[in-house]
Order: sequence, then structure tokens, then C-alpha cells
Amino acid sequence: MSQVTLGTPARQASTQAEAMKRPLPDWVLALALAAAVTVLWELAIRLFRVPTFVLPAPSAVIRSLIENWAQLASATQSTALEILLGFVLAAITGIAVALVIVRFDRFGRALYPLVVLFQNVPKVALAPIFILWFGFDLAPKVVLIVVIAFFPVAIDMLVGLQSVEPSFVALMQSVGASRSKILLDVRIPHSLPHLMAGLKVAITFSVIGAIVGEFAGASRGLGYMIQFASTQLDTPLIFAALFVVSVLGLAFYYVVEFTERLLVPWAPKFDATHRAQDS
Amino acid sequence: MSGALSVVHALDAAGAAAAGSAAPGLVDARGICVDFYLDGVRQRVLEDITLSVPKGSFVSLIGPSGCGKSTLLKVLAGLIVPTEGRVSVGGIVPHEAAKRRVIGLAFQDPTLLPWKNAIQNAAFLLMTADDKISLADAEARAAAMLKLVGLDGAERKMPSQLSGGMRQRVAIARALALDPQVLLMDEPFGALDAITREEMSRCLLEIWQRTGKTIVLVTHSIEEAVFLSGEVHVMGGAPAHILETLPIALAQPRTTDCITESAFKVAQQRLRSLLIEGHQRRPA
Repeated sequence: MSQVTLGTPARQASTQAEAMKRPLPDWVLALALAAAVTVLWELAIRLFRVPTFVLPAPSAVIRSLIENWAQLASATQSTALEILLGFVLAAITGIAVALVIVRFDRFGRALYPLVVLFQNVPKVALAPIFILWFGFDLAPKVVLIVVIAFFPVAIDMLVGLQSVEPSFVALMQSVGASRSKILLDVRIPHSLPHLMAGLKVAITFSVIGAIVGEFAGASRGLGYMIQFASTQLDTPLIFAALFVVSVLGLAFYYVVEFTERLLVPWAPKFDATHRAQDS
Repeated sequence: MSGALSVVHALDAAGAAAAGSAAPGLVDARGICVDFYLDGVRQRVLEDITLSVPKGSFVSLIGPSGCGKSTLLKVLAGLIVPTEGRVSVGGIVPHEAAKRRVIGLAFQDPTLLPWKNAIQNAAFLLMTADDKISLADAEARAAAMLKLVGLDGAERKMPSQLSGGMRQRVAIARALALDPQVLLMDEPFGALDAITREEMSRCLLEIWQRTGKTIVLVTHSIEEAVFLSGEVHVMGGAPAHILETLPIALAQPRTTDCITESAFKVAQQRLRSLLIEGHQRRPA
């Protein structure tokens, strides 16, 4: 990796020739860029003598990470539990809403505009109400996550369920397949790639929901730590907690993506071939 | 019954004469009219269409795109209920016939399920139609049909690994797996390149010769219609009706050599002038 970032021009030319044969994986490039930005950040802070409480150097953030490790770890546990519970319930809610809209035509037509209307309520503003209703513990955070994250799941799943070729539906109907059979055998498997796309959006929304929920009122968790540290002007700890939140979010995201590969191995090929056909 | 038949005879003397007898065909349509509502305005799409497809024959419906030939095929398949007229397939109304697996369908888009391989796709409709059939039996039948359409060896391939022509072959195998009496096909080769299209025409001819199924093909290719059919119904006008029914006087069984025969060229010319006539009669 250092060869790439710090290589001399002559050396880069030779590695370029190798790279033509076997291109570097994306994650290596991403790590290299992150390392470069971190080094620049550290240098800039030292060069311009930026006060730590305004913007800490990466080294200060790392120090804070190590010093507050135990606290951060237990805060991560609480926040991760909120995210996991909220995300799973959001997924179930979103899938259920989509299935109900597709299966029960008339009720669905009544429900859909209300779901869209509800999506336009600023959900973050509901956090204090949820505290009022459900207390300070796990429940209000989970409810907030569900409310924020179910929408992309419902919409993407709905698109997937409804985008089955009409001629294929006609084909099934012609041999006497019932609505439920078409839903089960064709619409639901057809919707899975769309569902997974919705779940990927939902998992990032879930992280946001957990932090916002903790801002509104909490006694533990990473969001709570960020808020507490800001009252203490402990900016390195804010950044340390932010770093942990980001890594946690990334980990959750890749769990969803890994699930996608297991569950819908045909998805990328399917999209690629369809695009090829369209052009 | 004979009274009704003589009425049909008067309406479509040419069609009945070409069919060779006054007996109702396997697919029988009499006085079909279809109205659609476009922006709340009632519009007639098909006008007084009568045709009879004898058992075991190969019949094409040809006409300019958008003239209503696909609509007619959907009426024959029981997917659209005609505003006026009567349709029967194997002596019963089409949607009942479809449920009893008398009708097999193929469209321009093969619409395979991307999560199922070729054999699973070919078996899928049969398993949907018959919930008592075992997976092994359905797949055995599907495998036989894949072999018939020239896809042996590709049974385990996913749709994304198949070419456009191969995907359409799977779709035809899926329809044949139902063991239908009649195969209704709506421009099944419309999305394929010229060479693949010719290949698929030969494949379809072979399927017809080997299975003896009754086939109704919607196409806008003159060569395809002449090469494959015993009889071509030319549609045109607005609302669309049958301009002429043209018997194709080429010997059976046909081979690709027949395209050099003079009868082929004569039929081709005749269809061409009919299509031009139909085209000119359409509103701009």
C-alpha cells in the first residue's frame, strides 16, 4: 500500500504496468485515500496550530479512543442493540406494509397515500414525544428507528412486487393461478433484489435513528456519549465516538450486503442483462 | 348448428374454403369485435373477425404493428373477453381451455424467472397449472421439451447465462411442457436479430412437424409468415379486420429450400401488396 501512496514516479510506472494486469481492489484504494487524508489532517492541525477543542488531530482522537475504550465499548453495545432491534422491526413493518398494499387492493390504495403522507412528517421531531410515551430506555429509540427506517423498505419492496412483467402474470392467470399463488411464487422472489436495496438504505437510517433517539434523552449509548462529551468540550471524545458509530454502521451495512449475496445471487447479473437488453 | 355454420360460411367464405371443410376449427372465432376505452372514449379495435384454425395447422396473423393482431391473439388466449362475438378453443371458451392446458402461450419477451434455471423455468408453468404433478415428473417433461427446442445440455443454465434466442427457446419449451393442443405465439422472435430469427423459424417449423401441434403465430415478418404457415390472415384497417386470408401453396414438409420456389415469391408479393393496402387504409 505504501508503494502506491509514496512511490516515486519511476516506481509508479512499473506498478502501473502490473496494475494493468491485475487492478487493485477497491478497498485498497479506499484505505489508501483514507490514510492520505488522515496524514494531511494531522499535518494541517500541527501546521496551523488548531486548538484541540475546535478540531482535534487524528492522533488526539486515537488517544481518546484508547483512553475511553471501556466506556465506548459498553456504549457501542447499547447502541448496537437499539439499531439491531429497530432495524429488524423496521424491516418487518416495511415488508408487511408492502405485502398488504399489494395483496389487498382496495385497502392498499387507501393505505399508500397515508404512508407517503406519514413519510413527510419530520420523524426526528417525534423523538421527544416518543420519550414522553415510552420513557428513557430502549423502547423510544427502537420506535424512532422503526418510524424512520420502514419507509425505504416498504417502497422498494412495493416496487419489486409490482414490477413483475404483466405478460408473465397473464401467463400464470391463464393456467388458473390464484392471486396468492402469484404473490408467493413470483412477486415475492422477484421483489427480493429490490427489498435488499431498501434494507441497505434502512440500515443506515437505523444508525441515524439510534443516535437521534439518544440525543433526545438517554443515559447510555454512543449518541449519549457524543452529547455528554460536547457539554464537556471534550472534542477528541466526540470524534472518537463518531468514529465508532461510523464503523458500527459500516459493519451493519456489510452484514446486509453479505446477506444480499447469499439470498439473491441472481440480482446483479439480472440487472446487468436487463440493462444490456434495453440498450 | 348447421344454420350457424352457414352464417359463418357466408361471413368468411375464403377462410372456410381454405380450411378445407365446414367443420369448426380447433380455434374458432366468429364475429369478434373488441372495444377499448381510450381516455374515456370508446374505440373499436377489432371489427367482425371470423376465423377458424383447423387442428394441426400452422396459421399466421400478419399486419402492421399496432393494428390489433396481438389483441386478437389475446382474445383467442382468453386474456381479453371480446365485446361481441364468440370464441372457442377445443370447443370451450378460451379461458377455460387455458385452465385445462389446451392453450400454450409465448410472447415477444420470454419473461423467464431469473432465479430459476432453464429446466425450472420450463417446468414452472406446468407445476403452476397442475398442483398434483411431482417435481421430478414436471422436470422430466421440461427436460424433454428443452431437448425438443434444441437446448439439451443447457438445462442447468440460468437465464442470465443464455442468449436471447435460447431464452425464447426456454419460453417455448415452457409452453410446450403443458402439452397444449394449440400454441399461441405473439411475435416470439420480434426482439431477436435477423440470423437468430431465421434459426428460430426453422426450430419452430421442426417443432410443428414433430409434435403436430396447432400453431397460431402473430408476426409482422412476411418471410416468416410465408415460410411457416399453411394459411396467413392479413389484418389491417381501423378498426382492424381481416383483409384477406391467403393459403400458402408450398409443399409440406417444408425445408429452407422452399424460399427459392416461385410460389414463395408469389405469396410474398401478394402479402406485401396487401400489407401496403392495409397500411394506406389506416388513419394517419
